[in-house]
Amino acid sequence: MKDWRNWTIAITGVNARAENPGPGCAVARCIREHKDFKGKIIALGYDALDAGLYSHQLCDQSYLLPYPSSGEEALLERIKDIQAIQGAEPIDAIIPCLDSEMQSFSRLKKSLSKNNISLFIPSRDQFNLRAKNNLFTLCKEIGVKVPETKTVSDPTFFDRCADEGFDYPLIVKGIYYDAIIVYSAFDAQMAFAKLIGTWGYPCIVQKLVKGDELNLAAIGDGNGNMLSPVMMRKRAVTDKGKAWAGVSVVDKSLERLASKLVRKLAWQGPLEVEVIKAPDGKIYLIEINPRFPSWIYLSQAVGRNLPVTLLKTMSGDKDLDLQPPTSGTFFIRHAQELIVQLSEFESMMVLGGTRSTPLFESNTPDAESA
Amino acid sequence: MTKLLWEPPFIQPHRLGEINKFGRMKARDNYVEHVFGVPVALLKEEFGSPCFVTSEIHFRNNLRNLKKAFERRYGDVIHGWSYKTNYISAMCNIAHQEGCYAEVVSAFEYEKARKLGVPGKKIIFNGPNKGKDILERAINDGAHIHLDHLDELNLVSKIASRLNKIVEVSLRLNFDTGFTEPWSRFGFNIESGQARQATRLLAASKNLKLSGLHSHIGTFILEPKAYIQQVRIMCKFMREIEASHDIEIDTIDIGGGLPSKNALQSIYLPPEQVIPPLSEYADAICNTLIEETNYRNQLKRKKPTLIFESGRAAVDDTQALIVSVVGNKRLPDGKRAAILDAGTNLLFTAYWYNHQVQMTRPADGPLADTALYGPLCMNIDVVRSSIQLPPLEYGDTLVINPVGAYNNTQWMQFIEYRPNVVLVHEDNTYSVIREREDLEVMCQQDRLPEHLKIAFSTTEAKK
Amino acid sequence: MTKKSKLKLGNGNRCERLHALAISETGFIFDPQTGQSFTVNQTGLFVLNGFKKGKDSETVSHDLADACSVPIELAQSSVEAFILQLERYL
Repeated sequence: MKDWRNWTIAITGVNARAENPGPGCAVARCIREHKDFKGKIIALGYDALDAGLYSHQLCDQSYLLPYPSSGEEALLERIKDIQAIQGAEPIDAIIPCLDSEMQSFSRLKKSLSKNNISLFIPSRDQFNLRAKNNLFTLCKEIGVKVPETKTVSDPTFFDRCADEGFDYPLIVKGIYYDAIIVYSAFDAQMAFAKLIGTWGYPCIVQKLVKGDELNLAAIGDGNGNMLSPVMMRKRAVTDKGKAWAGVSVVDKSLERLASKLVRKLAWQGPLEVEVIKAPDGKIYLIEINPRFPSWIYLSQAVGRNLPVTLLKTMSGDKDLDLQPPTSGTFFIRHAQELIVQLSEFESMMVLGGTRSTPLFESNTPDAESA
Repeated sequence: MTKLLWEPPFIQPHRLGEINKFGRMKARDNYVEHVFGVPVALLKEEFGSPCFVTSEIHFRNNLRNLKKAFERRYGDVIHGWSYKTNYISAMCNIAHQEGCYAEVVSAFEYEKARKLGVPGKKIIFNGPNKGKDILERAINDGAHIHLDHLDELNLVSKIASRLNKIVEVSLRLNFDTGFTEPWSRFGFNIESGQARQATRLLAASKNLKLSGLHSHIGTFILEPKAYIQQVRIMCKFMREIEASHDIEIDTIDIGGGLPSKNALQSIYLPPEQVIPPLSEYADAICNTLIEETNYRNQLKRKKPTLIFESGRAAVDDTQALIVSVVGNKRLPDGKRAAILDAGTNLLFTAYWYNHQVQMTRPADGPLADTALYGPLCMNIDVVRSSIQLPPLEYGDTLVINPVGAYNNTQWMQFIEYRPNVVLVHEDNTYSVIREREDLEVMCQQDRLPEHLKIAFSTTEAKK
Repeated sequence: MTKKSKLKLGNGNRCERLHALAISETGFIFDPQTGQSFTVNQTGLFVLNGFKKGKDSETVSHDLADACSVPIELAQSSVEAFILQLERYL
């Protein structure tokens, strides 16, 4: 019987710009390096410069998808196309790794399942409940602390916010993405205008809590249980606030908080919980991401390979084979160049994917002759 | 040798970092031959291009669904048909046949509703500019007047006193819900005390009786929770003024703002992913209103009637626009462009929506990023700045939708005639519900003074 | 780099730059000298291949008119415009 060990697994989010990489390549790496995995990996990208598309170590085939903004119909059509191209090696499972595509995939779950493609992702309701503007209510219900938050649609708020206990510096967030730290009313109004312009009304204003940034990655089994939590403390960040170096930790209070959230939401699929641990030991929830984080390779390193755990869960394999949580394993993210042949690049540009016969011989005409 | 499809040769450099998805994806059989059950070719032949096509059954169904959604949850509900969204007479009468009141915002709209036979007591009169004469008529007709500012309050009071009448009025309120840009230019502000001031004046007035509260929190509201806040704030205000004055509020009008399945340019994800279902809005509004007015049961007082004024959500997807390609271009950066016989003159909403544009024949050639321009000699006349389309040919017919909200009212008469608007009836027959304009219509209101009757003298003309 | 003098295609001059181009049947073009890649449409590809074979623009225009069944004047003017585009990029 075919199980996760010989599935063909498609993974999105294989963009890998050094300062803010998508999680896809790390997820692929976790699966590829598992000793039992004999299947195929397909990289699904959105841009011909997504590095993961060209990594022969990580993937066997790769394809471009239509942008999430073109909607789920275009996406479904494209996936059916890819299934046709794949022929005897059809996709068995997709692991979506980007926030912006999660709604499309969750709405396509049934249609994909008809095409024998499995997904293990949160429902639209779960996705919405953890959205930034709903997080506050959710946390109140289950007694999880969040930095005090307010939705703001009137920028004059920033002139009088101190009256309401919002002292600078504050964080101003867009309704979907982006967060800007502001130090004055002037800053705040600039940030407000920028975020409203990009993401629409309202903005979210959050008090800044000082402390350590801790992240937890895990899988919700859909019945309220949290599987295989792996925790990490950021030790250095890029100028986009993304982890550049981190270390595995074991923090019981973070684990309790995350499992509360998973239970409350009956979360299904991967998730990342971002918190701040204040010097007094109190934990404040910052964000829940509905996917694996880009530091997920650390899970493999500490013996709790989360992407493989996901596949096992999807496949009904009860033997998760998890090591006890350990702290003290470091990671440092680094960049390296991936070599891409002209023929591969052409194929991506023209056909939107790799294929067996290159149209170009890889030795291109000699520049000297020009 | 197979024939090569003609297209002027062109070369386009790849700009790294903005490289498009598929390269060149094979063309899709994504086309429509019918709108609302009628062949597009037939409509174009009979009514010309461009041409608006509207579906009666669709419109009726939308109106029924809206009403049902609120009625089932709350009971006593009035839908005010927002004339400004689409005031073509036939459309208004469909709405009235479905039980809608007329929600009007100007003297013209008021007169139109009366002309269509809407009785005054079924008219909700909003808007910041209600003149003396029209107010007097509305008072005599018994229309529901929603006060927008203090000067209007005084004016209505004066007229009522002259007519020796007691006039029931509603107050339009504005406040910050925390979710939408506050529409503070309309009505009386709660936070600054203006609304309390107006209430006090009304409570003291001999001729005016405050019986309703109204507010409108914005347009295309994507967050049902915004309505929860709105209803809470309005109800809190209601309880306060009822407690401190001899006032009883009979109607709570929550305005409109419900979105349609159209793609706002400012929103990244497609509409079906960001627009919550109607039930979520109805739940938010009705549940909050029930909660907030429960106290009335104990006081053995009637719950207020809920008024809503949805226009866009009822009519947007009931209309499509048939257009034709009148020219093709290749822009200097290599991007394809086509010129259509309709632009923002007819599709005012193209300024903020990415309307869906569909072919009416199978695609012949690869899809490419295309700009669609209208016929106006203005740079801003852009129907779509970027859409994936196969090569278009002169005379190709395209169908643009949904376009039913605000276009038949905000369209502008600039250099072009406005086209036919066709209604597909419930039995699938169809007829024109607004004739296309012609030279006579365009010149009808012109008046030529005696000395300007002639453009060229006979001698000048011969030169 | 003296662009224009090299690309006098109208006179039927062989153009070294054109010859060096890697032209794929898919319409993907790579210029080994600058590292720039391009897309050409099918008619553009037809014209480029004609040039590469050493045909002058007059001949290529006639071939194109035949292949697409369009008037020769249309083909000629379009090829001329195409040459201007090439001069801009190469």
